[in-house]
Amino acid sequence: MAIDPIRHRFTRSEYHRMAQTGILAPEARVELIDGDIIEMSPIGRRHLAAVDRATRLFVRGVGDEAIVRVQGSIALGDNGEPEPDLTVLRFRPDFYAMSQATEEAVLLIVEVADTSEGYDQRTKAPLYAAFGIPELWIANLNRDQLLVHRDPTPDGYATVRVYRRGASVSPLAFPHLAINVDDILG
Amino acid sequence: MAILRATIEYEPLDRRPYRFTIDQYHQMGEAGVFRPEDRVELIDGEIIEMNPIGDPHAGGVNRLNQAFVVRLVGKAVIAPQNPVRLASHDEPQPDLAILRFRADFYASLGPRPEDVLLLVEVADSSVSYDRRVKAPLYARNGIPEYWLVDLGRGQVVVYRDPSPDGYRSMQVHERGASLSLVELPDVTISVADILGGPAESA
Repeated sequence: MAIDPIRHRFTRSEYHRMAQTGILAPEARVELIDGDIIEMSPIGRRHLAAVDRATRLFVRGVGDEAIVRVQGSIALGDNGEPEPDLTVLRFRPDFYAMSQATEEAVLLIVEVADTSEGYDQRTKAPLYAAFGIPELWIANLNRDQLLVHRDPTPDGYATVRVYRRGASVSPLAFPHLAINVDDILG
Repeated sequence: MAILRATIEYEPLDRRPYRFTIDQYHQMGEAGVFRPEDRVELIDGEIIEMNPIGDPHAGGVNRLNQAFVVRLVGKAVIAPQNPVRLASHDEPQPDLAILRFRADFYASLGPRPEDVLLLVEVADSSVSYDRRVKAPLYARNGIPEYWLVDLGRGQVVVYRDPSPDGYRSMQVHERGASLSLVELPDVTISVADILGGPAESA
């Protein structure tokens, strides 16, 4: 059987070495997704505003109980280092300075999608589910809705629900924290 | 307020892979990003792992190498499985490159597209990649001639007349046929000598 040559699968340590030696320009917005180094699209104003709104809501909402990481990377296995727009991490006193936050630390990921709608849904959702990330929210600015993904399986999230303006949702990890869809979408 | 149950169908992943330049590719090699056993090429900005070399393939390249050496001594430089720099994001490692003769054998400066007289790929199992990816790559870089040695089918496919959209001419030759190079028309080599087996002369 003939097998076509395949793209080299980068490991996280190769990826770091490239960043350290300046091969990946510091201003390059890249992530490591399942062994591929992927270019992130430049972030627009609407996207940034939504991330900032979500940041304020979650920082206030979780207080000292968790860590809110904004556009910072998490480690998923040997070949994954995505940069979600917002990650709510289990609280750790060192704030993960001593060792990188992995999938076990993640309580919730929030991605904002405007132009990258397909990318977040098709590329990142399966990746997050495969690593057992318990909950993923995608705030879709174009469709004006919030997609809540739960029940991760190796093949993707089993439960996806659409929430529109007027609704409110609570993260699984913070059942008493009600987030209004309007407040995220702006 | 309504909450709807949605089934999202995941389509094939759409990705925008980061495109590496040749310089970045070399820096990665120097920084030890690749392990010594990684056989890689840079094709259109992507790092591609070459298939491990099987015996039929290695034998095919050995035979081809000899066939050219006996005919091209002093007329050209034969470079087996060495990197060839093409456009800014391409550095393949063709099985054999026939290059314009240079007295230093390209020790001081590697070959550029204009130095290439012929590129040859040997395929024992899959010709798909060599046909689908390598042929257009070499054509858009203006490589005058590309031979695909298909050991499985016992054929040599000759591509000529490069254009940005691919080679304009493609001809399949079987045992019994004789080939010459566009850039070295006085040199002839039979398909039998390339493939080996019956009717081999050397």
